[in-house]
Formats: sequence, C-alpha cells, structure tokens
Amino acid sequence: MLDVQSLRKVFGGLVAVDTISFDVPENSILGLIGVNGSGKTTIMNCINGIYDATEGVINFRGTNLVGKKPYEIARLGIGRTFQVPRLFRRLTLTENLMVPVLEDSRSNVELTEKANALLAEVDLYRIRDNHAEELSGGQQKLVELLRVMMLDPDLILLDEPFAGVHPNLCKVFLEQILKLKDAGKSFILVSHDLTSVYSLSEHLLVLNQGQKIAEGNAADIQHNPDVIEAFLGR
Amino acid sequence: MSSNRLVWTRTSIWLGFLALSALGLGLLPAYGFSLAFWFYLLLWITLASGLNIMAGFTGYLPFGYVAFYGIGAYAAAVTVKMHGLPIWAGFIAAALAGVVLSLMFARTMVLRGIYFSIVSLALAVICRLLIAAMPEDVAGGSYGISLGFSNPDGAYYAMLALMLATLLTVTWLAQSRLGMALRAIRDDPDTAETVGINIGTVRLKAWVLSAVIASMTGAIEAWYTSIVDTETAFNLLVSTKAVIFAVAGGLGTVIGPVVGTVVMLIVDDLIWQHFPVLNVFLLGLVIVLLMMFLPSGIVGSLIRRKPFLRRILF
Amino acid sequence: MMTTLLIQALVTGLILGALYGLIGCSLTIIYGTMRIVNFSHGEFVVAGCFAVLMFFTATGLHPLLSIPLVFVAFFLVGMCLYYLFVPRLNRGDDPEVASFLTFYGVSLMAGAILLYFFQADTRSLNYVFTPSVYKIGHVFIPTAHIVALATGVAIIAALTWFLYRTIYGKALRAAIMNRDAIQIVGVNINTLSALAFGLAIAIAASTGVLLALVFPAFGPFSGMDYTLVGFVVIVLGGLGHPIGAIIGGIVFGIAEQVAIVFLPQSLSQAVGFIILIAAITLRPSGLFGKVALR
Repeated sequence: MLDVQSLRKVFGGLVAVDTISFDVPENSILGLIGVNGSGKTTIMNCINGIYDATEGVINFRGTNLVGKKPYEIARLGIGRTFQVPRLFRRLTLTENLMVPVLEDSRSNVELTEKANALLAEVDLYRIRDNHAEELSGGQQKLVELLRVMMLDPDLILLDEPFAGVHPNLCKVFLEQILKLKDAGKSFILVSHDLTSVYSLSEHLLVLNQGQKIAEGNAADIQHNPDVIEAFLGR
Repeated sequence: MSSNRLVWTRTSIWLGFLALSALGLGLLPAYGFSLAFWFYLLLWITLASGLNIMAGFTGYLPFGYVAFYGIGAYAAAVTVKMHGLPIWAGFIAAALAGVVLSLMFARTMVLRGIYFSIVSLALAVICRLLIAAMPEDVAGGSYGISLGFSNPDGAYYAMLALMLATLLTVTWLAQSRLGMALRAIRDDPDTAETVGINIGTVRLKAWVLSAVIASMTGAIEAWYTSIVDTETAFNLLVSTKAVIFAVAGGLGTVIGPVVGTVVMLIVDDLIWQHFPVLNVFLLGLVIVLLMMFLPSGIVGSLIRRKPFLRRILF
Repeated sequence: MMTTLLIQALVTGLILGALYGLIGCSLTIIYGTMRIVNFSHGEFVVAGCFAVLMFFTATGLHPLLSIPLVFVAFFLVGMCLYYLFVPRLNRGDDPEVASFLTFYGVSLMAGAILLYFFQADTRSLNYVFTPSVYKIGHVFIPTAHIVALATGVAIIAALTWFLYRTIYGKALRAAIMNRDAIQIVGVNINTLSALAFGLAIAIAASTGVLLALVFPAFGPFSGMDYTLVGFVVIVLGGLGHPIGAIIGGIVFGIAEQVAIVFLPQSLSQAVGFIILIAAITLRPSGLFGKVALR
C-alpha cells in the first residue's frame, strides 16, 4: 500500500536519508531499527509531510505524498504518533480525540461517543474531562494512539511507542496494536527496543547513517554481521 | 453532570445574563444617563473579546490590533465625508477594510510568539504613517477628518449591537468545532497539522473575524466622536488596553474579557477620582499585582482553583 | 550637495544605530535567557538620561564620568527587579504574555515616577564640548556624536568580550540557547538570570547617558518609543542573538536617517519598520537568528 522509492533527505550538507527504497504491504507491520541518528524519524517525517523529501517518490495507494501538506496526508489515511507524545495540553482527553475529526460530517454526539468508547477501552474514560497535561507520559502515548484511531487510518506510523512507558501500559498498547492489525491496518514501527520489534514485525529494515544496511525477517536480521556491527560496534 | 449538560446549563445562564444586561443597557439613553462611560465600556468589552479570539483561542497576541480599529475608523470617515455616503455605507466599508487588511497581514501568522506580536505592531505603525502621509483630500492628512455630524445615541446602540454580536460569536466559538481547532492550534500548531487540521485556513478565519470586530468598532467610535485622526485612531494604547483587559479577565475564556474590562475600568475610574496625582503609578501597580497573583486572569484563575465553578464560568 | 547630505545621514545613522543596537542587545539578553518580555526597558533608558542630568547638575563633572556610577546603580536596580518579579513569572503558564503585562505595569510606574520628579517638560544636558563640531570634508559631525559613538563602541566591545571570552558570558549565551540543559551541567540559572537582568538594565541606562549627549532634549514620555525600537531591532537581528541586535540597530538607524534625506518627514519614520517587514518576509528568523517557524 505504501511504496517508497529512492527517498533522499538532505539537511544542509548532512545526508539524513540516503536513497532508501522499501514498501509496506497491506495488513503488515514494518519494523524500522537503527541507532540514534540513523534516519528512522526522518523517514517518518518525510512520509507524513513534516519534511519535504529532497528526492524520491512516496506512493500511497496511487498518490504521491511528496509535496503534500501534513494535514492532507493525515486525511488520506496515514496516522502518526511521536517519540515524545504531543497532545494538546489544555484540551480535555475527549477534545484531544475530537481534533482529527473536526471536519467529519458525523454529528458531535456520534463523534463524542466514539471518542469516549475508545477511552473506555483503555480505562481512561473516568478522567475524560481532565486536561491532557495532567496525564503521565505513558498515558499520553496511549491517548495519542487513540487520537490516531479516530481518523481510522489504514497506515499508522508509531515512533518509539514503548520508550519510557510503564510495562503494564505497554501491554495495553500491544493489545491495541494487535487489535488494529487484525482489523486490517498496517504499521511502520520505529523502535530501539529490538525484542518488541522482533516479535511484532514480519519484515524489518535496518538503517545506519541514513543508509539501508539490511532487510529481512527477524531471524535473518539477528544473524546479519553488518547489523551486529552497526549496533554493537566492533 | 455530563459534559454536554454542563455546557448547556452554563451557556443558558450566560445568555440569560446577556439578554438582561442588553435590555438594561438599551434603556439607558431613554432615561437620560450620560453615555460616555457606558459607550466606552461596551467598546472595550468588544475590543477585548475580539482580541481574545486571536490571543486566547488561537495563541497569537497581536500588539498591533489597533491597525484594524484605525483602518475601520478611517474607512468609515472617508466613505461618509469624502464620498458623501450614509453612515451604514461607512460601516460596510469599515468591515471590508478590516477583511482586506487582515488578508494582507495573514502571512505574518507563520511567525510565532513575540515575533508575531512585534511584526504586528510594526505594521500598525506603518499603517498610521502611510495614512498620515496621504493627501488631505483622500484621507484628511495629518489633521484628520471631521464627519461634520454626530449621533451619540445612534452610535451607542450600534456599539451595543456589535458587542452583543461579538459576545454571541465568542460564545458559539467556545463550543464549536472551529473553536476546538483554534485551541488545538494554540496548544501545538505542528501537531494540529499532522493530525489533519488545515491550520492555514482555520487560523485565517479567526484572524479575519477578529479584525472585522476591531474595524467595525473603529467605525462606530468615529461616528460617536465624529472626528478621526491618525494619532487617536492608531494609538498603540488601544492595543495595550484591549490586551490588558482581556488578560485581566482571562485569555481563552468567554466571560473573562467582559469581567476584566468591567473591573479594570472601574478600578481606573476609582483611581482617577481619588488619587489624581498618582493615577498612572497606581494603574501600573494594579496591573503588576494582578499578574503576580492572578496570572491567568480573574475568571481563568477562579476556574483553575475551583473546578466546580466551570459549571457557571467558561 | 546630495552626497554630503547622504554621508551626513550615514554617519548620524551609524551613531544612532549603535545606540539603538545597545538597547536591543540588552533587551535580547533578558528575553533570550529567561523568555521575559521587558516592556519597561525604554523607561530605564530614559532614567539613564535623567541620571546623567542629575549627576551633571550636582557635580559639574564631565557627563561621561557618570557612566560607571549609573552602571552600578542600575545593575542593582535590575537585580532587585529580577528577584521581585521574574521567578514568580517563570512559574506561570505563559511567561511571555504575563511578563509583557507585568513589565508594562512597571513601565507605567517608572514613567509616573519620572514624571513626578522631573515634570513633563523636556530637559536638556547643557554640556558643550569644545570644539562643538568637527568638519571632515563637507560633513559636520558634532563632537557629542563622536564621543557617544566611541563610548558606545567601547561598551559593545566590552560586552562582546564578556559574552564570548569570559566564563560568565559563555554561560549566559549557553542559557540563551538552552535553558534546561545549562541547569543540568550545574549552573545556577537563578543567579545567572539575575546577573543578566542587572547587566541588561545597566546597559540600557548607560545607553540613556549617551543618548542624552546625542539628543538635545528628552522627556519622561519617550520610554515606550525606545522600547519599541529595541524590539524592532532584536526581531530584525534575530531574537536571542546579542550581536545580531547591534547590527539590526545599525541597519535600523541608518535606514531611518537616510530616509529623512529622501522622503517627507512623516514617511521616513515608517522606513525602519518597512525594512523590518521586508527582512522578516525574506528571512523569517531575522538576519542572524534561528527560530523554528510554523
């Protein structure tokens, strides 16, 4: 469904992403791994339009995303969470979930019900009228995922979903991801935490200094000498 | 209490209060009250609420808000005096001038925080100087324009109508989807855009709305005083006062700017009466104390400290 | 004739611009380190004008000798202001707006105090340099301007040395770049900010001393004008960039003075602001700044 061809992103003289191609099939989870500064988040930012790709094509179901604005990409059906959760801090939880669907034709009541149902699923319903800034970091990440779900996107980009999240919340998070997967959604998952990526992703992409150094399933990657070198050094 | 019911209750209370006040204010001229105080009370409530749409809901503080007020006053005066058209044509001209000027300045919204505020201020100064430099038969030059007639009662009613329209708009905005989009932009514009909000169009709506409120206010004030000149129409104090009144009550709340204006005007009046020598000093002191002890404004701080008050204040 | 006027304007613009730059520079030290919008900055410039007047009337000594005194006195004033207001403001939700209003209040109070002690009429410093004017080619330059420029340049040089060569200056610049990080490496941000505030107010008042030499008359009401100039200059130079502010000031000063030669009086005032808008449109982060934009 998403086909990235020869994506290149240059900041000044720094090549952050160097001619990378990959694709995300329908109903799959692609894992992006690599050490800090290897270009994972930059690729995400290019896909959802925060950055304009310097070169290359990002094809999503027949539409080239390069040059589109972030809100247009969101409306095409690509959702995104951030490494450091970015909620609207002085909006209530329900309101936070409503923001993506403000131009939806459904009624306020209908949308509020949907938002509250999602909050209830993760046990946040009782604090739905609290401001987002009152939540813990892990809870904020969870609400961010729910906010993405409001738009019902087909592709979800998750940036370090498990970093700094309490193990109990991690479990809730995982459940949600698997449920969405069963419902036919696709993911791109960026993480340092190799165990979770290995267990979730069928297909992995290993980046180092903006270049793709390996690609394959978890077993292939784990034994690839280039990968071991990039992660552990020599 | 469910949140929908809560919104319904407090909105009804507030609208009821507004209706009663409107009735009382509407009767004032008939009973021969001196209108000066009341006219300016309505004027400042309108300006503070109009500014609040940008500063409170959207997160842009325009120090140069006076530019819209001034251009409205001039548009009305030029239409009436130089082209001999009736006052209602002047109001239409003022509204149009507000729209055009706000569209011209729309690009400044790529700037954030104090950057935006200062550039907006610079634009207001440029407007003043350009209008003062225009030939006398176009815009009155440095002497300004005298309308040659005045109608304080008419202007008072026009101001009352504009204030009510503004307050109703802000009340609607507080619960509408547009308002929610604006508050999302205020909290984090980048994220708002990545979750699907077209921030360019959304904030432009707030900007034009806010500008038209100020330009109409300028036009009505011109009708009230029947004199327009660049020094008063583009006086930066208009911006600063609107900001102070809105902040004193609570940015981002509906009732705040109203409460802030009333309280500050009364305080100002008391200071003038009792301490004529020290008035400016005391006014400064009041502002400092207010910011030290109630930084989110009167209404804002009340809501924050006593959450149950959200049932009646918003 | 035109060239003479132009050169004259360039020279005056440079001198005024350096002084505007100092106002902006001190303002940006405050804004940069603590995100505080000091809307009363201009009042302290004006207070500097009155301070030198008092000094000169009382002692009859050369006005420039007042600078060390003014500097120390206003440094202390600045420190006091800091401890009175800033820690409390920084705890709030939106320090930028809150500080703008707080210091607007301070500006009203300071203006009222000046008005109370010195009345509304404009004053002037009746000090005459000998010779009062130097003639270089066809250009006349008042000695006061040369002295003010030299002193201004000396202050700028001292400030640059302080900011780039001393450990305190480096800490200050680091605080401007990242307020959180510097606390982690063990700098007491509170003390540092207080020193920065004191320094900024001291520079503002010292600039006032120089302005009193350059401008024949000053009154208690011009504070707001200087504040505005200061803000325009720092946005022009790039927020949080002290040396950028000085260059912004010189650009602003020269533009203003050259415009007076070519344009009618009323329009020439707009030129500095128009340059600001043009600069921001072409380079939204200012001439030297780096700011994330939306």
